[in-house]
Amino acid sequence: MLRVEELGFAYPGAALLFSGVSFEVAAGESVALAGRNGAGKSTLFRLLNGLLAPSQGRVFVNGADARDVPVHILARTIGTVFQSPEQQIFEARVSDEVAFGPRQLGLSRIESARRAAEAIARVGLTQYSSSHPMDLDRAARRFVAIASVLSMKPRVLLLDEPQQGLDYRATRRLEEILAEEKIAGVTVVFVSHDMDFVARNADRVLVLGDARLLATGSPASIFSDGTLIQTAGLEIPAALAISTALGLPASLTSRDLVAAWISRLQAKR
Amino acid sequence: MALIEVTDLTFGYGSAPLALDGVGISIEAGERVAILGANGSGKTTLAHWLAGWLPSQGSEATRGKVICRGRPWQDWPLAERASFVQYVGQIPSQQLSGQAFTVRDEIAFGPENLALPEAEVRERTAECLAACGLEKIASRDPFTLSGGEQQRLVLASALAMHPQLIVLDEPVTNLDPAGCREVLTLLDALPPSTTIILLDSFPRVAVQIARRFLFLNNGRILLDGPAGDVLLHPDAIASLGLPNAAEAAWLAKESGAWNPATPIPFSIEAAIAAFQQVENAAR
Repeated sequence: MLRVEELGFAYPGAALLFSGVSFEVAAGESVALAGRNGAGKSTLFRLLNGLLAPSQGRVFVNGADARDVPVHILARTIGTVFQSPEQQIFEARVSDEVAFGPRQLGLSRIESARRAAEAIARVGLTQYSSSHPMDLDRAARRFVAIASVLSMKPRVLLLDEPQQGLDYRATRRLEEILAEEKIAGVTVVFVSHDMDFVARNADRVLVLGDARLLATGSPASIFSDGTLIQTAGLEIPAALAISTALGLPASLTSRDLVAAWISRLQAKR
Repeated sequence: MALIEVTDLTFGYGSAPLALDGVGISIEAGERVAILGANGSGKTTLAHWLAGWLPSQGSEATRGKVICRGRPWQDWPLAERASFVQYVGQIPSQQLSGQAFTVRDEIAFGPENLALPEAEVRERTAECLAACGLEKIASRDPFTLSGGEQQRLVLASALAMHPQLIVLDEPVTNLDPAGCREVLTLLDALPPSTTIILLDSFPRVAVQIARRFLFLNNGRILLDGPAGDVLLHPDAIASLGLPNAAEAAWLAKESGAWNPATPIPFSIEAAIAAFQQVENAAR
């Protein structure tokens, strides 16, 4: 669904932020992008959705070279939830904000409103449909941004630190939405600094650092590479750190860890 | 005398439901306190009161008061308040002065406004650039930095004021794990006399800094005490989740496999030791 070949980028007058970045993401795959602050994760997103043009290499979206596709056409395939929801919200009502995307796709007012209502219900904001998005708290504003992308039914979802500012319940809701999208065959790529969130939600992790793609692999393989964790400034998910120290099979979630620990206890009895 | 005394604080925005409803907290100098609550629980509003950003003209409390060192905030001249308390908020870009062209100037901005001698301003700036890992980007424009870099800059600018009280509102949300560890180490190394109040919606950072925990729910303080009493309360778990290091032990306890004599651990090191202890006892 996404193919990146030897991608490199430099902001005007600055050194290359990264170069030689190549990877592919399949339909229905969920991929996390990790790395230090300033490594270029948000920039990479802007290269994927066409807001920035590569200095080197190419980006293919569903087989088409992104350079040949105007940004507004690319936006029909790739929906982006930016890091600060405030930067992508401009309508005075939540329902208008979420219906804006479908309207730009050329859908009728009725169909756009239907899609908006559906997306708003999924993020749990139905009772705030008539509110001004900026009157809502930060977590709700993030969900407005997420709904306004979901309503366009993109085949690729890019989410830049989507769980930032969300509390426990809101994070669970976000994780349910990501899982539903994945089941529906949507390609999900997200940036996160929360390695427990990454471990729970990613099939694969791309690690950006030292101006290149440092590694790509399953969460289990990435998080068991101590040198990589150190170089890229990541951390080991709690369950993995505990299970490894206890000599249990590597567990990425507390649930797996406890299941493995209990079966060892029972075996010893 | 408590450093800061909040009594029956009740406050709302316009016709919206009350943001704070009868909040009472007394914090001593040098305490490390975490106030935890879900989205919309009133954390940021309470943080603004604790840092003296409220009351402001037209935004007075409906009821109650905040007294710091025996005086209400209204009686504190701005410069005195700014050198006493610093607030680090969740959206770093909104806290940049807009008056500085470089990271270095941004950090120097506060001390310069206290009319400190030039040498001291330079010294404090250098110290905070180093402490917050900003030396390499000292000459960059603050508005061109990434979210995490901006957050470290805002923290550095706050620390350069040498505050006695620092109010941190979700201070590591934008940081990468390595940056988060650096900030925690930095906070830990502050003089013991520095009072830290951390507000967050997750307990994972709080358990590494605080020794006292308050649970804020719908503008009310429902729990106040040590980690074991507050974070394992069913209402707190439902709303905040468990710290990642405590979650596994909690699940083991729910499955009946945990030894009730072993306390639920809150750090990874403590979790490893606790699991080993329970396992050895079961043999």
